[in-house]
Amino acid sequence: MMDRNLSAQSTTVLGLDLHSYTYLHAQSSVLSDIRLEIQPGSLTVISGHSGSGKSTLGAVLAGLLPRYDMDQLVGSVSVNGTKVEFSDSLQPRVDIAQWSKHVGLLPQEAGHYLSGIRGTVSEELVFCLENQGMPREQMHQLVTALAQRLGLEHLLDRHPQQLSGGQERLVAMAALAISEPEVLVLDEPLAGLDKQATALVSQMINLLRAQGTALVVLADSVHFWSHEADALWSLEQGTLQRLSTVDQQHQAKTSKVERQPASDDSRVLLNMASVQLAYPGAARPAVQDLDLQVRAGQCLGLAGANGSGKTTVLKAMAGLLKPTTGTLDTVGQTGLLLQNSSDQLFERTVLREVSFGIPKKSPLRKRVPEVLAQLGLEHFGDTHPYELPASARRLVALATVLVREPQILLLDEPTEALDEAGETILQEVINSVLERGGAVVLSSHDEQFMQRTADRVHVMN
Amino acid sequence: MSSNLLLPEETSSQTLRRRLMAVAGTVILVATYLTLIITQPMGIVEGLGQGVALGTFAAYLISAVLLLLAVLPDLPVSTLTLIPVALALNIILGQFVGSVMIPLYIDSIGTVIVGFLAGRRAGAATGVLSTLVWSLFAPTVLPFAAGAALVGFLAGTAARYGALRRVYLAPIAGLVAGVLVGVVSSPVATFVYGGTSGVGTGALVAAFSSMGDSLLSAVTKQALISDPGDKAVVFLVAALLVYALPKRLSGSFAFVRRYRVLGKRVSK
Amino acid sequence: MPRSNKLHPFTILAIAVAVVTMTTAASQWWLSCAVIGLCFLITGWAGHTKKLALLSGAMLLPTFLSLLLIHGLIPRVPSPAVAQWGPLRVTVHGLEVALSLGLRTAVLVVVGLLCGLLIDKHQLVAAIDLSPVPPQVGYLLAATLFLLPQMTEKQRQIGEAQTLRNAGIGTGLTGWFQRVRLRAVPLVLTSMQDAQDRAVHLSARGFPATGVRTRLREVPDTSVQRGIRWAAVICAVLGPVMILAPTWFGIN
Repeated sequence: MMDRNLSAQSTTVLGLDLHSYTYLHAQSSVLSDIRLEIQPGSLTVISGHSGSGKSTLGAVLAGLLPRYDMDQLVGSVSVNGTKVEFSDSLQPRVDIAQWSKHVGLLPQEAGHYLSGIRGTVSEELVFCLENQGMPREQMHQLVTALAQRLGLEHLLDRHPQQLSGGQERLVAMAALAISEPEVLVLDEPLAGLDKQATALVSQMINLLRAQGTALVVLADSVHFWSHEADALWSLEQGTLQRLSTVDQQHQAKTSKVERQPASDDSRVLLNMASVQLAYPGAARPAVQDLDLQVRAGQCLGLAGANGSGKTTVLKAMAGLLKPTTGTLDTVGQTGLLLQNSSDQLFERTVLREVSFGIPKKSPLRKRVPEVLAQLGLEHFGDTHPYELPASARRLVALATVLVREPQILLLDEPTEALDEAGETILQEVINSVLERGGAVVLSSHDEQFMQRTADRVHVMN
Repeated sequence: MSSNLLLPEETSSQTLRRRLMAVAGTVILVATYLTLIITQPMGIVEGLGQGVALGTFAAYLISAVLLLLAVLPDLPVSTLTLIPVALALNIILGQFVGSVMIPLYIDSIGTVIVGFLAGRRAGAATGVLSTLVWSLFAPTVLPFAAGAALVGFLAGTAARYGALRRVYLAPIAGLVAGVLVGVVSSPVATFVYGGTSGVGTGALVAAFSSMGDSLLSAVTKQALISDPGDKAVVFLVAALLVYALPKRLSGSFAFVRRYRVLGKRVSK
Repeated sequence: MPRSNKLHPFTILAIAVAVVTMTTAASQWWLSCAVIGLCFLITGWAGHTKKLALLSGAMLLPTFLSLLLIHGLIPRVPSPAVAQWGPLRVTVHGLEVALSLGLRTAVLVVVGLLCGLLIDKHQLVAAIDLSPVPPQVGYLLAATLFLLPQMTEKQRQIGEAQTLRNAGIGTGLTGWFQRVRLRAVPLVLTSMQDAQDRAVHLSARGFPATGVRTRLREVPDTSVQRGIRWAAVICAVLGPVMILAPTWFGIN
């Protein structure tokens, strides 16, 4: 079941020879016929859209999958010269703690890697050393050295739950690095980060690589990584394909969507005049002296750093928050897609979710299949929203908003969790709302998306 | 030196000690209960029964802690991360549901969910822990730990024998569980606190006692009115919440697969 | 930083247990009142007086009322009445019983809450981790304490999200049930999915520890405190026996 084979594979720190991988209760396999070898200190990039199985692949490499007695893996994984065989008849029980000393995985949701039960970042960093029983003095030295190496000193005394998304990712990566695994698998390490955080995270990735850690990056597109990578792969229909530089040309971003500019004399749908917004009990108002006007057929972008009040403004437009001073007038119905849109989902199937609260005889009922088709969800009608890939789940939340035909569509960080196909669908949705005389207000830190989509951008400060 | 990547086969040397703890915990609980029922210490009126109060408090608490220590090391990590969620759900859903409705406690939805998904031992552990953590905010709940353990244990047992395969079976199982829990918990209310801590339940006890019942039987009768109703509602709500989970999640619990807890609701 | 940080959490707990058991055994109204008074003095020093008063009041008021109903109104022993409304009489003896039982609960509540206010969560978790109990105990306590505020916040967000969808505005029993469902289902779904996702990473980080475990956080302890703890535990067990033994032998 396991044998040492140092001579033949001494140049490979991690090898995968996978015939098939099937989840419990699944009809067909998600991955098949994948062969991958990771050399020490190399950078391997694997691209694939949301739901392509790249997270599954990452978890298999890190020993987190298959779940014992549930999923079915046929193939073998070699970790640092030790080969573990999986077959129909034999599903060994992996010691995840031992495996992760060689291969670490940074999950897409970096916060999931953090234990969530420690009071400071330093304590969070040494969580796995504490479990191994390392003496306190030694842990102190390791943390100090690691923080210095990765430039994290300023975060050590912070509370792990008060970190921003980017900082959370830095801390999780450092926590992975502290046990010095030979390979780190990073699942979407840059997704959802603004420019500054992207720079910091990719800087840490470079540092780790310079120190000899082999990296496997799973990403929506290889775009960002193509210059650095030693090997580029694309995961399609459950199997890996090597990407050449020619293929990358196809992956170039779509250009600015052509659209009739809205005329300046079209109807004003939303008007805010010297608006002040404050949360009950907060010491200072979240937003002050805001003047905004949005006309029919216009798309307004809200930009600004975290905490500048973008979400607050959107919530006020949707009527969740009343201005303390100033006036806010809207014409027609508003519909808001929240950043954390899973909070909006509660039904057992996508179809029930989207038709929730719409009376049987209402003409809006007819909209349900139309909207599902528009968002490419027509085949998921009977699926549980939580069993969909993240990108599709976000689109389901968007569908619940669209089905009510809002005059003003409000989108809070709409590109988050969307893959490229999802982003294209989002573009089309925005255009269709504008074309039928509606208006769109969106907040985003994705500058490219903002440039392509918004007619004008209001920077919050 | 590369370390072994696979887990060794499980050994049974440590399980004996845990079995002994579980047995000891159960024995203490049963013995205390029987002693109280048989002797019916009347000191509560003369000397206020301080000794009985302390003894009951200690015995119920110790048995609950023993049961917890016996069960904890056996639980898989996926159950361990579920328990804190269940504890928080007990408190949050209890507040939300309880604030609208009538004099039921509804403080065990999370415990029952864990019992349904992860089996009776996990359910019992959740019950005890829920009480221990909650006692940091409300110290009086401590001696009720054994009762809470029983709720989780019974939820797991009910799920194992098919109470979740039909919607209407869940509240019936809850009703039965409520009777048992009420009977086991009332000596605590009687001998430790000399009654109940709610005005509504207090009025019920007073009414029974004015009809000539002893304090213990009055408290037990009150518990038999409140508890079955409470547990029936809790079991029903918990069952509906479990049905709402995606199959991928509920099916990942070995207990659910092994005893076909959800019946046809999860194919295979 | 609370000022009680220099004390080991177990010291505070051990003293609290000893105080509660001995006060309960002694069952003297002046002693119970003195203990409660002392607790409030300590909170005054630590700066939580208002919180303690509010929390304990909210818990004790219904208890007192309930005990008054059970013991004060329905006397078991003939005794002169203090007041009478038709068939309901409040007797001196009934009042005494209700008050002493109430004080017994009051001591437990006030001392217990004081512990909760004085002990730093992180220190308590670290102390538990460093003690020989199974490693799961510390995790479960810590995870619950950190999850509670997070899930309460989540609950608020879900409420907001549902308002946006015009969900949960029905009236009557079905409306109530619908509202509960709309609030509870997303909360249970997200939190359980989250728990599931986290589990595998916890095992990857070597939890639960199989051998010795250590903590980076230091929990200050002294030999004096260790002595106090032992003394307190002995008092907690033997104290009540010593106090109660004379009455047992006196009666039997």
